[in-house]
Amino acid sequence: MRRLKRGALGVMWALGGVLISVLMWELVKWLGGVISLPMNTSDSAMPHVWTMIGGVGQPEVRGSETTVLEAVVAASAYSLLIALGGFIIGVSVGLLLAIVMQRFAFMERGLLPFVIASQTVPLIALAPLITGIGNRISVGPVQWNTTYSVMFIAAYLAFFPLSVGALRGLQAPTATALELMRSYAATERAILFKLRFPASLPYLVPAMKVSAAAAVVGTVVAEISTGVKGGIGRLIVEYAREATAQPAKVYVAVFGAICMGLIAAAIVTALDVYLTRNLPKESRA
Amino acid sequence: MSIEPTGEATTTEVAVRAEGVWKVFNPGLANEVTALQEIDLTVTRGEFVSLIGPSGCGKSTLLRVIADLTHATQGAIQVAGMTAAQAREDQRYGMAFQQAALFDWRTVRRNVELPLELQGWSKDKRRVRAMELLEMVQLADFAEHRPWELSGGMQQRVAIARSLAVDPPLLLMDEPFGALDEMTRERMQNELLRIREETGKSIIFVTHSIPEAVYLSDRVVVMSARPGRITDVISVNLGQRNEDTREAEVFFESVTAVREALRGRTSGAVRSRVGEV
Amino acid sequence: MGQRLRSVWPPVLIAVVLLAAWQLLVVIQDIKPYLLPAPSLIASNFFSDVGLMWAAALYTGTTALLGLMFGTVLGILAALLAQRFVVVNNLVTPLAAGLAAVPIIALTPLLNNMFNITSRTPRVLVTVIIVFFPMFVNVTRGLIQVQPVQLELMRSMNARPRTVLRALRVPNAIPFFFTGLKIAAPLAVIAALVAEYFGGPQSGLGSRITSAAANTAYGRAWAYVVASIILGLLFYLTVLALERWTAPWTSRSHHN
Repeated sequence: MRRLKRGALGVMWALGGVLISVLMWELVKWLGGVISLPMNTSDSAMPHVWTMIGGVGQPEVRGSETTVLEAVVAASAYSLLIALGGFIIGVSVGLLLAIVMQRFAFMERGLLPFVIASQTVPLIALAPLITGIGNRISVGPVQWNTTYSVMFIAAYLAFFPLSVGALRGLQAPTATALELMRSYAATERAILFKLRFPASLPYLVPAMKVSAAAAVVGTVVAEISTGVKGGIGRLIVEYAREATAQPAKVYVAVFGAICMGLIAAAIVTALDVYLTRNLPKESRA
Repeated sequence: MSIEPTGEATTTEVAVRAEGVWKVFNPGLANEVTALQEIDLTVTRGEFVSLIGPSGCGKSTLLRVIADLTHATQGAIQVAGMTAAQAREDQRYGMAFQQAALFDWRTVRRNVELPLELQGWSKDKRRVRAMELLEMVQLADFAEHRPWELSGGMQQRVAIARSLAVDPPLLLMDEPFGALDEMTRERMQNELLRIREETGKSIIFVTHSIPEAVYLSDRVVVMSARPGRITDVISVNLGQRNEDTREAEVFFESVTAVREALRGRTSGAVRSRVGEV
Repeated sequence: MGQRLRSVWPPVLIAVVLLAAWQLLVVIQDIKPYLLPAPSLIASNFFSDVGLMWAAALYTGTTALLGLMFGTVLGILAALLAQRFVVVNNLVTPLAAGLAAVPIIALTPLLNNMFNITSRTPRVLVTVIIVFFPMFVNVTRGLIQVQPVQLELMRSMNARPRTVLRALRVPNAIPFFFTGLKIAAPLAVIAALVAEYFGGPQSGLGSRITSAAANTAYGRAWAYVVASIILGLLFYLTVLALERWTAPWTSRSHHN
């Protein structure tokens, strides 16, 4: 309850921040008309805030049935679904790998350096290359398509932070707790489910947040770099090209991407609240 | 209200005087707590006074009110003849906490120098003074070590050296040995008594441990919780302390007296009853 | 020494095994380079074009470094303000939390329109924004999350707020600063690289990867990926070295 109240208060402040940003935006735009700024403040590069809001209802292209808003919402939802799929795959694989690394010390010593190093390198650079796979392979009866490539990248990026966090979590139980379990002659399996999993939550949940962010960003970037149609990433690139004619469109699309990120964060936060409902406050993320 | 044996001491002889001190947290709210109720206490110069009582009896709060780390809701505090705030600004006391609260980013010596830095001492003078103090707590060899390289007892000795740095007449100690093992603790107690003898400081010492309070103190102030108030003041007369003191008859008598006072019973031990409100 | 060797050989062994398996798989299954080029092909491309790799890495690395520096400075300044004025903290902290899962990189086309797309500016700016948030969040945390007993100690020594900031809060924030920097440095490289996918000058690693892939020069594209990975590691390891050098206590100070 208290958490909810604090959250609501945070949202209010965030809205205040948005309001200030809007005012600053218009101020910069106005200044650009008065003095010379090192940027393009024309209506095509920096449309008025109300132009952006008005752009929501415009037809996507001249004479088309769908409005910009509909197109953006559809594309964002599509990207969000791909990101979600990537997140679920990434989390599953990451958890599995963490369990393996926890169980077999050699695997930990062999794999962990790579997992850690992979968080520090731009693996996303691989994205344009995954398109090469494109439609050219099939896995069993499933024909591979470029959407899978995007999901694959999202899963790949989500997987690394999770496996590190999960491993740290699985190793979190104290020696005393482990000795207690051994004194009960508990099996490794029982120790895993009764002790290691619950103990891992304070580490797992923040790792999930990082993974979700990675999945969303990975999806958008993969869409941009692979040129896969249907998602918000590609839509932003397309709309950016049409900025001179309809400057508001690209802004609507970017806001769509931002909303998608916020929704993803909200989903993970809900998951966090559910998973950590029985934990003392200070161990919560 | 107070019937202290040292009641009519002149200001120069009084290290700390608390009169009618109240501390109420969250006044007027549902979670209102009376941490201190009508506290009267006088500590004379050079005296060692322990505050003892169950958790929540306000002994740490009382120490913090004296240190001007928190304000009394009501009542007057006098430290070295001035208000608590003035005494803090003039650095008329040094303080040590249960956690050593050393700064990891400073060496042991520079931790001791910290209060001197804040007083604007020159680099050379600071260094000389810090080494002198480390000498006193027998840690001169560790001057250039980092705090985390020291054991808990050594860290606490550094904290005591730091609290002595500006040479204040009064030491305020909040369970400084609470986190140490029993053997280290006893060694530290002897060390503290030695330092006190060398420096003649007045000391107010908060503790949970009855033997510790008895071994160290001239007087043990017994407090009770909810609301926090002084229920007893027990004078301890052990003379010169040494390792045999801990096994002496008179030591156990005083321990028993304090223990019974904590339980709220009276015994035949020497003590002065403090008026209950 | 023996222990160091023991911790080094498992990853090396796994790397060797994986690379060998990859090479064998490609050769035996005759996998086409557009799917997966052999490590040998990537290596030969990397070493034959090492000059190009260096030039592209230098371009992207410069963008990343500029963005990292400006973003870090802005993050620290904002954190100091947030520590001093609770309004700033209330405004920026929920924003930073909310933006965690937002693909900030999507701002690049907007910046491309607002600033000169043929210059480095839009890319540096988007990197600045991406770097700003982890730096702000971590440094603020370091300035605010001081042990209560240390604050009491400072007060008992009659320290002024400014002194508390200098002697306690700032040193306390240094490990947090490096935590932020360890997140931000790889992000800066990623941002600088991905920003190139939105058009503009074609001299960086990101542009090179896409153009090599478009020209079906997959070996070279993968070689550029290797160069990107090396650049990312370089940034990260530099931060690690900086931390060891300037704040040797950080690795030890989190025991309490």
